[in-house]
Amino acid sequence: MLRRAEFWGGLFWLAFGAFVAWQGWLLELGTLREPGSGFVFFWLGLLIVAFALSIALKGVKGEGPLLSDLWRDARWTKVLMVIAALVAYAFLFEQLGFVICSLALLLFLMTVVDPVPLRLSLPISAVASFGVWYVLEKVLLVQLPKGLWVEGLVPF
Amino acid sequence: MDVLASLGQGFAVALEPINLLYCFIGVFIGTLVGVLPGIGPISAMSLLLPVTLSGSPESGIIMMAGIYYGSMYGGSTTAVLVNIPGEAASVVTCLDGHEMAKQGKAGPALGIAALGSFVAGTFAIVALMLVAPLLARVAVAFGPPEYFSLMVLGLTILSFLTQGSMAKALLMAAVGVVIGLIGLDQINAMPRLTFDRLELVDGVGLVPVVMGLFGVAEILSNIESQVRRDVVQARIGSLWPSRAELKTSAGPVTRGTLLGFLLGVLPGGGSVIASFASYAIEKKLSRTPERFGKGAIEGVAGPEAANNAAAGGAFIPLMTLGIPPNVVMALLLGAFVIHGLQPGPLMMSQNPRIFWGIVASMYVGNVMLLVLNMPLIGMWVQVLKAPYRILFPLILMFCIVGVFASGNAVFDVFVMVASGVIGYLMRKFGYEAAPLVLAFVLGPMLENNLRKGLILSEGNFDIFVTRPISLACLVVAALLLVAPLLPALRKKREKVALDVTE
Repeated sequence: MLRRAEFWGGLFWLAFGAFVAWQGWLLELGTLREPGSGFVFFWLGLLIVAFALSIALKGVKGEGPLLSDLWRDARWTKVLMVIAALVAYAFLFEQLGFVICSLALLLFLMTVVDPVPLRLSLPISAVASFGVWYVLEKVLLVQLPKGLWVEGLVPF
Repeated sequence: MDVLASLGQGFAVALEPINLLYCFIGVFIGTLVGVLPGIGPISAMSLLLPVTLSGSPESGIIMMAGIYYGSMYGGSTTAVLVNIPGEAASVVTCLDGHEMAKQGKAGPALGIAALGSFVAGTFAIVALMLVAPLLARVAVAFGPPEYFSLMVLGLTILSFLTQGSMAKALLMAAVGVVIGLIGLDQINAMPRLTFDRLELVDGVGLVPVVMGLFGVAEILSNIESQVRRDVVQARIGSLWPSRAELKTSAGPVTRGTLLGFLLGVLPGGGSVIASFASYAIEKKLSRTPERFGKGAIEGVAGPEAANNAAAGGAFIPLMTLGIPPNVVMALLLGAFVIHGLQPGPLMMSQNPRIFWGIVASMYVGNVMLLVLNMPLIGMWVQVLKAPYRILFPLILMFCIVGVFASGNAVFDVFVMVASGVIGYLMRKFGYEAAPLVLAFVLGPMLENNLRKGLILSEGNFDIFVTRPISLACLVVAALLLVAPLLPALRKKREKVALDVTE
């Protein structure tokens, strides 16, 4: 039972549904004549709990794949690296600015996560980050975080 | 005559040079994202949603619509030549299209896909033009109960038709509504599930959620399993199918067109389901079903026609009722809203220039696609040869840029990353994202109409079952909910899923 994906998936949504129903209760249910802000949340939460229970029960009965089967033969370290890179990007986006962050992200993905020769990764990363910055900032007039990036350094 | 006069006005809009340019950009990008595996119309449209702000409403929406039907065309190229569906609706085209390519018949496979798509696309536009005004007249009489029940029906159909567990699909729909309701209560302005975060007061953005669940999750899934691409190296040859192939394909194209259009119009239906259903029907009707999966041209012609007809049909509920029947239309609704427009029964009378301009631009776009797809296939093959290890970092960067540009907030980037991780885990555990996203968009409308209905009826649920349209929708939804419990139907539903995933 504890090794079944359905059990853990169901359990997660069970907790989520219970939380939503509780929040709905706190928000005030109102009456049928005048439903309150929490009315729909409360009933949706209970609905989620019901569905989650039916899924978790399948796991209890031993149905569905094993948790370990889901990642068998998967290159999961690469997935983790990409997620970490994206989280770091989001945290540093405003501090370092678009160009530096994007350049670092592209180089990391193309040299560490799924490597391509440096003669390709370097120019592609540089052209893509500068090119996108130029099109967005100068052509489409979309403001991107500048961070350490000083616009005056660019001659165009 | 009214329709013809309005269409004439539409052509005047669609043929304006700036709109022709936007239409071309739309179908070109659509074909490109259709060709490229790992980025589909949903990601591309989310990415370009902010760009539509820079032009007039009709130009932006013409471009967004072009991306959608363009991707339906483009998806077939990847499916036939690489055996990887460029987008989900082309999954079934892989089965026979790639087999044909391996037998040296890539040209006719691509040709019939383009021709079938053109015929179906054109039919869908003509039907849209004729049906939409009639439906809009009926829709004026819709009140909160009808809208509520129609949305319930849409979500139920989508959950019923998704592969795998219906309980999971319904759970996803419920979760989608919850996420869609985060933010201020539309009736009494009370903040809900905002956790005192200012960024959540306006709700969670559609673009970061969609980009995360579809774009980022797709990339994470592709990275963990090495993407293998087996591009057909043989000469593609003549694209024009032989007379015998055209004759064999006529029936499947006709059936696929009609079926696709009907499924496209239904809320919850869509291109993916249409192409799967068409393949199943053609296989069943064939005297030689054993040829399917081994290079039967009917297996390409039917599904390709069906997915394009569905793409056209899906515009009807959005334009006449204001209800998006699938995720792509939900994004298009976002584009309308950005420009301060509300699609619905009054759209045709209040904004005829936009409505008919979009319809006419689809004719123009379909011709452009035929011109693009037939002679430019060689170029798309070159695009396909770009290694995924170079493409995915660029796609990720575009996702970040698109999300940031849509709301000018770093918080949205966090939402996208979180949605991406959740979307990846959902794929792993067998939960589909489509019901969640559609419910996310419909959630606020659903709640609003439910509460308004209850207030109107002074707390009596009868209002939802005493009005004929509302009752009909709820009865069909109830039947669909009960259907999987019947053993015979459950087996059939599972078999369709198996046939498709074989």
